[in-house]
Amino acid sequence: MKAAEFTSLIPTCCAEVLDAMYFTTLLGSHTLAAIPKASHGGSLSYSLRFEGHISGRFGLYLEEGTARTLAANFLAEDEGTLSCPQIGEVAGELANMLCGSVMSQVEGDRKFILSHPQAGPFAPSDGLDDLLVSGLDTDCGPLTIWISVEGDQCHP
Amino acid sequence: MAFNILIVDDSPAMRRVVRRVVEISGVNVGNFLEAGDGQEALDRLRTEWIDLIMTDINMPGMDGEELLLEVRNDPDLAAIPVLIVSTDRSEGRVRQMMSLGADGYVSKPFMPAALSQEMYRLLGGAPNESC
Repeated sequence: MKAAEFTSLIPTCCAEVLDAMYFTTLLGSHTLAAIPKASHGGSLSYSLRFEGHISGRFGLYLEEGTARTLAANFLAEDEGTLSCPQIGEVAGELANMLCGSVMSQVEGDRKFILSHPQAGPFAPSDGLDDLLVSGLDTDCGPLTIWISVEGDQCHP
Repeated sequence: MAFNILIVDDSPAMRRVVRRVVEISGVNVGNFLEAGDGQEALDRLRTEWIDLIMTDINMPGMDGEELLLEVRNDPDLAAIPVLIVSTDRSEGRVRQMMSLGADGYVSKPFMPAALSQEMYRLLGGAPNESC
């Protein structure tokens, strides 16, 4: 399975997760050429590894302001009361839930494993990763989702 | 009757959300206990009285599957209901966890009502009706 085959799945799964647990509406989605560079205003990046019939890495990039609003919605707290670690935890959990939702659809009846979300930017391995980058517009601000599928995984 | 509930998840944010759902559900909670992985949960289970375990599967260290097996194989703990709360909603995983002895399975993302309903079912009560 190629990363590009996730194109329609990502917005569908993200809409469900954002609506159910972050009280956030997905307004639209589009494919991006690359993961945005970190902004001066502050941004967060979280990624985790998935292993199953298909293996690779799944990531989330968002601006600090968007992360703060999502965290407030998720925790049912005022934005001003949230600490940076709390905002990071919620962003990591969002990456985890989005990846789990996508992989549940892809793997169907098969078992898969997700690693603990790690903070930090994506580092492509020699530019050889099969990478899909999706931009999502939400009523809390933009999100960038990326998925990198490993090698030739043509399982029968 | 007040219930002691153990929430097991490596994400503090998710533990907080689950706890909030339990609080607003109307369940009479004696103590909330939390653990960040299966081993920490076992340590709590062997020193505290717990009426319900709500656990994630994917966690560093001892994961939810190992925790479930440990609980079911320990005569002192085996009767405690275990509710799985996981991002993994593949049919294979749900079947596997139920066959290993889980009493319920709620996938993330979840609606608060779905979690409350399972919790009440496992605690043997019904939600308080409000006006």
